[in-house]
Order: sequence, then C-alpha cells, then structure tokens
Amino acid sequence: MIGAGALRGRAPAALLFGAFALAPVVVRDAFFLDSLVLILMWGALSGAWNIAGGYAGQVSLGHAAFFGIGAYSAALLGTRWALSPWLGLAAGAVVSVLAGCVLGYLSNRLKGPYFALATIAFAQVLLIVASRWRGFTQGSEGIPVPFRPGLWTLGVDRRGWLYLALGLALTVYLVEVYLESSRIGYQLAGVREDEDAAEALGIATRRLRVWSISASAALTAVGGALWAQYVGFVDPFYVFSIDLSIRFALNAIIGGLATALGPFLGSLLITTLETSLRATFAGVRAGFTGVYLIVYGCLLIVVVRFAPDGLSGLAARRGRRDSSRARA
Amino acid sequence: MQALPQLVVSSLLLGGIYALIAVGLTLIFGVMRVVNFAHGEFLMLGMYLAFWAFTLWGLDPYVTLVVEVPLFFAAGLLTYALVVRGVIGASHNVQIFTTVGLSIVLQNLALVAWTGDFRFVRPWEASVVLHAGTAAFNVSQLIACAVAGVLTAGLVAFMKWTHTGRVMRATAQDRDAATLMGIDTDRVYRLTWAMGTAAVGAAGVLVAPLYSVYPTAGLQFVLLAYVVVVLGGLGDMLGALAGSLVVAAVEVAGSYLFGTAWKEVLYFVLFIAVLVLRPAGLFGQRGAEMLGA
Amino acid sequence: MLALEGVTKRFGGLTAVRGVDLRVERGDLVGVIGPNGAGKTTLFNLIAGFQRPDAGHVRLDGVDLAGQEPHTICRRGLTRTFQIVKPFGNLSVEDNVMIGALTRVASVRRARREAAAVLEACGLGPFRATRARALPIGLRKRLEVARALATGPRLLLLDEVLAGLNPAELGPMLDLIRRLHAEGLTLLVIEHIMAAIMRLAQRIVVLHHGEKIAEDVPAGIARDPRVIDAYLGEEFVLAPA
Repeated sequence: MIGAGALRGRAPAALLFGAFALAPVVVRDAFFLDSLVLILMWGALSGAWNIAGGYAGQVSLGHAAFFGIGAYSAALLGTRWALSPWLGLAAGAVVSVLAGCVLGYLSNRLKGPYFALATIAFAQVLLIVASRWRGFTQGSEGIPVPFRPGLWTLGVDRRGWLYLALGLALTVYLVEVYLESSRIGYQLAGVREDEDAAEALGIATRRLRVWSISASAALTAVGGALWAQYVGFVDPFYVFSIDLSIRFALNAIIGGLATALGPFLGSLLITTLETSLRATFAGVRAGFTGVYLIVYGCLLIVVVRFAPDGLSGLAARRGRRDSSRARA
Repeated sequence: MQALPQLVVSSLLLGGIYALIAVGLTLIFGVMRVVNFAHGEFLMLGMYLAFWAFTLWGLDPYVTLVVEVPLFFAAGLLTYALVVRGVIGASHNVQIFTTVGLSIVLQNLALVAWTGDFRFVRPWEASVVLHAGTAAFNVSQLIACAVAGVLTAGLVAFMKWTHTGRVMRATAQDRDAATLMGIDTDRVYRLTWAMGTAAVGAAGVLVAPLYSVYPTAGLQFVLLAYVVVVLGGLGDMLGALAGSLVVAAVEVAGSYLFGTAWKEVLYFVLFIAVLVLRPAGLFGQRGAEMLGA
Repeated sequence: MLALEGVTKRFGGLTAVRGVDLRVERGDLVGVIGPNGAGKTTLFNLIAGFQRPDAGHVRLDGVDLAGQEPHTICRRGLTRTFQIVKPFGNLSVEDNVMIGALTRVASVRRARREAAAVLEACGLGPFRATRARALPIGLRKRLEVARALATGPRLLLLDEVLAGLNPAELGPMLDLIRRLHAEGLTLLVIEHIMAAIMRLAQRIVVLHHGEKIAEDVPAGIARDPRVIDAYLGEEFVLAPA
C-alpha cells in the first residue's frame, strides 16, 4: 500500500488540492468556481488516461470511448429507469472495464502507433453506434440528464460539485501515487521501458497492461458519469469525440507523463488558457473558438519535442541532481 | 443481381480515389516509419484549395491540380523542416503527438480562417451522369479515378525505376544501412514527406466535388487511409492499391446492404480485425510490421 | 537441472537450431560458442520462452517448459540476459535492479535492500542514482547482469556479457562470474571471446549452423578438428584475396 515513502515530495500536491478545497470558502464568483470544477474534472480524466498512457506507456487516443460509456450509463440509467447516477457510475465503470480488457488485449498485439489507431477506430465505432441507435440511445439527439436535487441523485449546487470533482481528482491522484511507489508501479515502469526485458525478469507484462488499461478505463468512465450529471446533457458527438480523447492526453503530456501531479498541472494550464481565450474572443467571431486549439496544437508540438517530461519535468530539472523519476 | 454492375463500377471508382490517398501515406509510412496523424488535414486543405479556386476564380479542380502539386510540395517541405525533422529519431509517442499537434493546428487554422460551414465544389462535370450498362456514375468520379490512377502509377513507377526512388526504398528497408552507404537520409525524408503531402493534397482536390468540404473532413479519410495501408502491407505500394480496392468494395457493398449509416462501423471493424489477425496486411510479409518499429 | 532434447527451430526456410541436445547440471558453468549465426541467441530464446521450439523439448527440473511465458520461466528460477543490453533507460540503476528484485520480494523496501546488496556485489554501488541510459556500455553490461541476479535465479543465462568491454573491465566481469559460480549459481554462458570462455567454463558446447558439433572440456575443444574447421572456415572467407 502507500507507505511513508510515497508521500515524500508531495507538498506541492497537498498545497494545490488544499487550495481547491478552500476556494469555495474564500471565493463566491460563480464563473471562477465553475472553472475550478472544470480544472479538477479535466485533471482527473487526464490522470485516469495517464495510468494507461503514462504509467503503462500505452498511448490511447480513444479514451473518449470510456468517457462516453460512463456518460451514457449514467444518463440511460437515470432517464429510463430513474436510477441514481451513482448506480449509473458503477455500471459505467463495469462496462468500461470490459471494454478496457478488449483494448488491453489489442495493446498486447499492437505496437505504439497501431494501438493508437485502433483506439481511435474503437471510439469512432462507439460514436457511430451511439449516434445512430435511436431505439436505445436516442441517436444523434443525445440524452438530456434530469436534475433532481439531493446527493443521491447528484443534484448539488456549485459548491457541492467542486467537492465532488475534488473527490474524483484526489481518488485519481492517489491511484497514481500508488502506481509510482508500489511494486506494481515499478513493474509497470519496467514494462513501459522495455517489455522484453521486463518479461525476462519475471514480470507478467501482458496481464499488467490489461489491468492498467482497465483501471484507466474505469476511472475515465466514472469521470464521464459525473460529467454527464454536471453538464446535464449527453451528446454522442461530444462524449465519444476524438477531440476529447486528445484532450485527455494533452493535459497529461504537458503536465508530465507518468507523474501523479502532471495531469493536474496540465489541466490547470490548459483549462485556464482555454477559458481565458474563450472569454477574450467571445464577441469577436464564432470561428475564433478555434484559436485556443491552435495554441494547444503548437504547445503540444513544442512540449513533446523540447520538454518531453512536461511541466513536472521542468520543475524537477531545476537545481536537482539526476534522479530516476520526477515526483510531484 | 441487378445491382452488381453498379457495385463493381462504384468500387473501382472509389478504389482509385482511396488509392491516391493511401499511396501518399504508404510513402510516408513506408519510408519514414512515421505515423502521420495529420495526413487527413492535408487532404482537407487540398479540398479547400479546390473550393476557393473554384469559388473565387471559377477554376475547375483539374486545373487547380496543376497549382496544387508544387504548392503542397512546398508546404510539405516547410512542415517537414518545422515540425517533422526534429522528431524523426524520437520515440513513437513523440511522433504520434507531434503529428497530432500538427493535425490540431491545421484543422483549427481552417476553422478560424474559413469557419465550420460545409462548403461545396460543384463544377459542371459533377452533374453529368454516364452509364455503363446498368451502372451509373458521374464524370467527376470518373475523372477523379482516372487522374488518381495516373498519379498513382506515376508514383509507383518513380519508386521502382528512378534512382531517387530506389534510394527511398533502400532507406525504407534499412535506415542505418542507407546512412552507411552514404545516402543522405534527411534529404530522402524531406522528399518523401513533400511527395506524400503533394499526393494527398491532390487527392483532396480531386475528391472535393464528391464530398462536402469542412475543417474536420480529414479525419474520416485518414482512418480509411490507414485501413488501406495496413491491409495492403506497410510500405508496399501495390499492396496499398489492392487494399484500396478491397476497402472500397467493402464500403460499397456495406452501404448497399446495411445503408450508408453503418458503413463506417464496417471498415473500423475491418481495421481492427486486420490489425489483430494479419497486422502485416494481406500482402505483406509476416513480421514486416515489426521491422523498424 | 536443464535438459534440451532435439530442440529445433525454423524461420521460414532457415533452420536456426537443429536437433540440439544439452544437459546442464546444478553447479555447472557451461560455455556456448560458435561462429556468428550459429544459433546461440536463438537457443537462449528457446530456453527462456521467448520462442517456441518447432521440435524437441526444453525441460527445467524435469518439467517441460513448452508454451510457458518467459515471466513464468523466470519465476521457476531461470533468468536470461540479452546480447544487446536492454536497460530501463529512464530509470535509475537502483530502480532497474529493484525491478528484478521485486519478482522475488513483495515489499518495495525489502527490494531496495536486496538491490543495494546486488549493486555492491557487482560494483555498481557508486552509480545507484544514475539514470541507466547515461551509463557507458561496460557498466550497462554489468547492470544487465546485476538486474538478472536480483531475480534470484538458480540458473543464469548470460548472453555475450563480455562483448564491448575494454580490457580493464573484462577482469572484474570475469571475477564476478567466477564468484557467482563459486557461490553455487549454475551458469550457461554464450561467449565470443575465446580466451575468456576457455578459462572460465568447465565444459564447452560448440554450435555451428544451428547444430551442436562438439561438447568437451576446453582443452578438448581447442584440439577438436571440427571446431577448428568451423572457425577457420569463416576466417578463410574473410581473408583478403
């Protein structure tokens, strides 16, 4: 489990999450609080992606598949059978684990870019199915998610959402911390560095990969379910979109792959950038929403080439001796 | 089977177009071993080029093609120098994200510059319908396929019979050996990338009359191109040609049997199936996908 | 301990390993030599489970290893190193060895202690915090051995661990191998550097074109006409006209 060793060097994380926790007490501004919820959610989703893409080294560009599964589970269970979204969350997680096993199987057969392509195809299939299956998913119209007040139905106010998002974020963060300092984490690091060598050292590489992807899938689905409830609407063209998949990866890369705080740092930067650019260009022209994406894209190209360890790496490099892995 | 002639004709025509899209990708992937996620965006830009040339100056796409080739060749050189060259030797992940980043930038440049509205290029040929027996097709399709065929044949011939083509194939087979033989691999890659870009841009110009033009039009085609490339065996030009026909046939038959809505599901499933069952492609050598991986 | 019976492996039209019989008893130090392309590394791949033999059996302690994954075989006590070393580049030397230790030990803290011991034994102590990819080839080879050792094998397969070492590094590596053997480890060693393996091994097996052409004590191998022919034949081809 997580021993004392794992918590060393976690001060920045404690500060960050602590700040988030205190925010609603200090700040009243609705827009600001909404932004915080978004930062935490995106951070958590990217952290979930990080488990597969960073720690296990399996870059997936189809994680929206799991997000969508979670969102639809919550929405469908909520609207068709009036079940609590918490149940939808659980159902979504279960289905995602199964889907994750499928992807895990693929990851053992396909090398890097091929796996990425297969994940894109996978998410696209789900998108098409969801947007055309009128009988079950209401097709391209999407599903509006009802708001019913109360914690059990996830009908909470802004402050409530902040703490829910914080809860999710902390859960994901702790899973990442576990992966960094536990036996499985070390073995996973071996698998991503050199699979053959890891295999020769007695590590069950294939099994480990499938587990990581499934865990990643489950957490992403949970995020999706919460998201559906928060936003109030499930649109197949959004929840299964490749843009979403790329975004999960983007935050993690910019913040630092295979670091626990990285995805949250990335989310902080990117989401802030996005909201401020959106606000700046809001009145100018409809098409200008694309500007922040152009910035994203350039940022991605630059970071991946010149700062492959992301923000975490940059922070770790300053004044530190050559250590094995950046901790944040 | 009343519909058979139509299906065959449609498959052939579509196959020709897919071949041109895929051939550019086969070139880039086969020689450089880079998975170019931005490939579809260059196609999209080709479509927009056709659109603007048609809308602003009334130029027929086939005339625009003449301009497109050198223009996109130059654009290819530029993107290579700016973006790709730095990550040639890097890990797959770095390459993936670099080209994904490029794809995002290009898509959104188009979005910001030209909005997300669907555009249409409808020159006179698009509405002229010809018949071959019971099969119907329009002139645009025919010309697109014919030009595609010529360009593809030209590329294949280039690769097979010219010195530069041989050099490129040598580099594809073994990068290190090529360097040791005194081949300037950087120049080879630059050329390959530029040629691949020009090829896919040409495909964009040619298909503009057949589809709608919008910033994210590239995505569909890029996945399709990868299905073709994987099916045909990586880096194998003729395999890519065969793969194009197979994919086109599957799509046409699928549309006919299940309706156009589900055809996409069909070739994604095909894609995953091929990746899992025969990753070297239908015509590639077993284990070829491990080469240079 | 390890028994190979008629092990054969074909790749398309090429037979890389043909009907090889081999026995390694507990406490042995057996060398495997042969010209390039003789099938030595393929043999290791077959033993360690990275490839499956087309014919014949590989038995460890009497148990047939057919169809078992390499990681299972490692847990049975057989660990191999790679001819082209495969360090976990972005991880520290210590982490590299820890990953090996974690196969045997469940606790991360204990694994770290075990790793420290192995690092000291292999002379890698001063480099424990260095990123593996920053190591020069000589140290990487040592890391490869250390990491394999950390898994606590009963039988260790070393694949050309001396190649690429400079004269100053050869001595310590040979000493290490001798020490491990003296402590009871059974070793199967592929080597190209004749002088070294002749002095190290109790028994030497010679492979040529995938077949075992000789097995004897080093002195016998040195006199064996078939061996001389196999090696001389190669030199003949390489000799200037």
